[in-house]
Amino acid sequence: MGYQFDWGVIVREPYWHWLLNGFFKTLILGSISWGIALFLGVIIGTIRTLPIKTARAIGKIYVEFFRNIPLLVQLFFWYYVIPPMVGQWFNRMQNLPWIMAIFGLGVYTASRVAEHIRSGLNSVPRGQRHAGLSTGLSNFQLYRHIIIPYGFRLMIPPITTEFLTVFKNSALAMTIGVLELSGQSYKIGTWTFHSFESITAAVIGYLIIGLSVIGFMGWVEERLKIPGLLGGE
Amino acid sequence: MGLDLSVISRNSTVLLGGFYTTIKLFALALAGGLPLGILLGLGRLSSRKWIYYPVSAYINFIRNVPLLMVIFWIYFALPIVTGHNIGRLPSAIVAFIVFEATYFGEIIRAGFQSVKKGEMQAAYSTGLTYTQVVRYILIPIGLRRVIPSLMTQTIVIFQDTSLAYVIGLREFVRASTVVNAREVRSLEIFGFVAVVYLVICLAGSMISNRLEVEGE
Amino acid sequence: MANEEEVLINIDDVSKWYGEVQALDRISLEIHREDVSVICGPSGCGKSTLLRCINGLEEFQQGDVIVDGVSVKEVQNTKKIYKLRSKIGMVFQHFELYPHLTALENITLAPRKVFNMSKKEAREKGMELLKRVGIPEQAEKKPGELSGGQQQRVGIARAIAMDPQTIMFDEPTSALDPEMIRDVLEVMADLAEGGLTMIVVTHEMGFAKEVADEIVFMEDGQVVEHEGVETFFKNPESERAKEFVDRVLVHIK
Repeated sequence: MGYQFDWGVIVREPYWHWLLNGFFKTLILGSISWGIALFLGVIIGTIRTLPIKTARAIGKIYVEFFRNIPLLVQLFFWYYVIPPMVGQWFNRMQNLPWIMAIFGLGVYTASRVAEHIRSGLNSVPRGQRHAGLSTGLSNFQLYRHIIIPYGFRLMIPPITTEFLTVFKNSALAMTIGVLELSGQSYKIGTWTFHSFESITAAVIGYLIIGLSVIGFMGWVEERLKIPGLLGGE
Repeated sequence: MGLDLSVISRNSTVLLGGFYTTIKLFALALAGGLPLGILLGLGRLSSRKWIYYPVSAYINFIRNVPLLMVIFWIYFALPIVTGHNIGRLPSAIVAFIVFEATYFGEIIRAGFQSVKKGEMQAAYSTGLTYTQVVRYILIPIGLRRVIPSLMTQTIVIFQDTSLAYVIGLREFVRASTVVNAREVRSLEIFGFVAVVYLVICLAGSMISNRLEVEGE
Repeated sequence: MANEEEVLINIDDVSKWYGEVQALDRISLEIHREDVSVICGPSGCGKSTLLRCINGLEEFQQGDVIVDGVSVKEVQNTKKIYKLRSKIGMVFQHFELYPHLTALENITLAPRKVFNMSKKEAREKGMELLKRVGIPEQAEKKPGELSGGQQQRVGIARAIAMDPQTIMFDEPTSALDPEMIRDVLEVMADLAEGGLTMIVVTHEMGFAKEVADEIVFMEDGQVVEHEGVETFFKNPESERAKEFVDRVLVHIK
């Protein structure tokens, strides 16, 4: 039983268009979720370093909760369990899978970013705190102008990895009906019975995204670099 | 709208069956991934270009691709390559070994790199061969150093098994969706699944922390 | 030239413990305006801890510190502590410049955020200060690009920028190479001459002899001796101080 490869499948319409569509959906899905993750992650990571016990506890519960449940299960929760509870009007919304995918991926990734931020903030030398406070800065100002910028830069390598991961994790959105890159490649497979080719095309798509992220973060690291400390002279 | 927890006990056979499949997949992925990871780790440290470059290319390739894609790919590729129909579970096992070994490989490589050169040279100077040095010095010392990271990755693998859902493997999550299709009690069913994962992974973290402390 | 009338900082019977270990043992001191007070003593005797208690960076269990009429103990965990700290400058052994900001930005950050100074005004003031400490050309450089001596001078400028009533120096030259120590000490001597109230923790007894008004000798968290500079070097009271002075004077010649 020989398998006939048909690589033309990928470049033919409408399949090529579907792939492209999926590719851009992945880009957008990943980027918006990443934005949410960064924003939430910095907040949660920061409160985990505050001297207030309840704040730290809330942060820890958030992280442990989202870290120890598979992303797939979380997405199911956001898509199947929560919307009916919010209301039927919400459940019937047109873009529900898309919205819940972005949201679910965002809050999940935030828990991972939070851990890196926490580690970074804790690595900022105590002397920096003393110096900032000694000039009369308030705790909030200290964090905003000194601790967070410094801590964040320390953590650029692991955060780059998380940025990569968010695009890979976006593939799971297909399980709740989002036709991003992997979803489209699967769909093409069911239409043409040439799944292998379409999946290969998708894999190449992810490689392109991965390389771009690495390139982009390299540029970011260059702009944010601290001479004498991280990668400077 | 009350909680109907009996839906779980009523369908416990299906759920347990799925869970059992999850464990099988997990255990075999681990059993294959770790040894392959050791080989990959060694490969990344090799001074022989014909080993180093292919291994590095392989690792970097896999790490840029979603696990979901690897699972699909292997599932559709294996029948083509071997000419036979391969079942879902074997497909998934192969995919997981291929994928997770790269992550193990990088962790183990770091562990190996932390073994001081002097210790290795001392071993060589007593006449041991490469394989013997690796087996009696490098692996025991290097691996021990990275046990916490390995454990964390193991917990990740346990969660990752849920992804076999996409090729229809009847593991724990798929089993729960089957039950949900019948009973439509998503909160209780998915809640149960979440709690099970939560408990197991938290327990795993605690064990890992304990090991880390004792290791010091 | 001790100005006997004006007490700026009154350290009143302060004791501090880190858990079981006592770091400060009933310290009582008066710091007068325009005085240069040098605190010296063996490592670990509590000198740095004392400084950090004065501006509320560390909490102490007993006693109080009154700075210009404000009780540190009272304002410790309130917003008022920020105001207090803006009146006390601090220079650190390891410079502690913010590595992600330029020298000028290091200096202007607090004036802009605490005093709401405009960016332009702050930059002008900052450049003035950089000129004063002798390194205006380093304004746009980041700390990692500066030598230790340059970094410390930026640190001093950063402290001066808040127009504080006093500046505390915590072993400002201990981390510097010998060639750079002189530059920094010169800046400090300059400030002293200008009438700034200074508290200097240091081992540089040459500087103390030349510039200080009084010496505080500490050991094991206690003040062992506290007198005018001349008296201390000519005729120290305690055995420990005598030993210390003898050893040090050999170095200075």
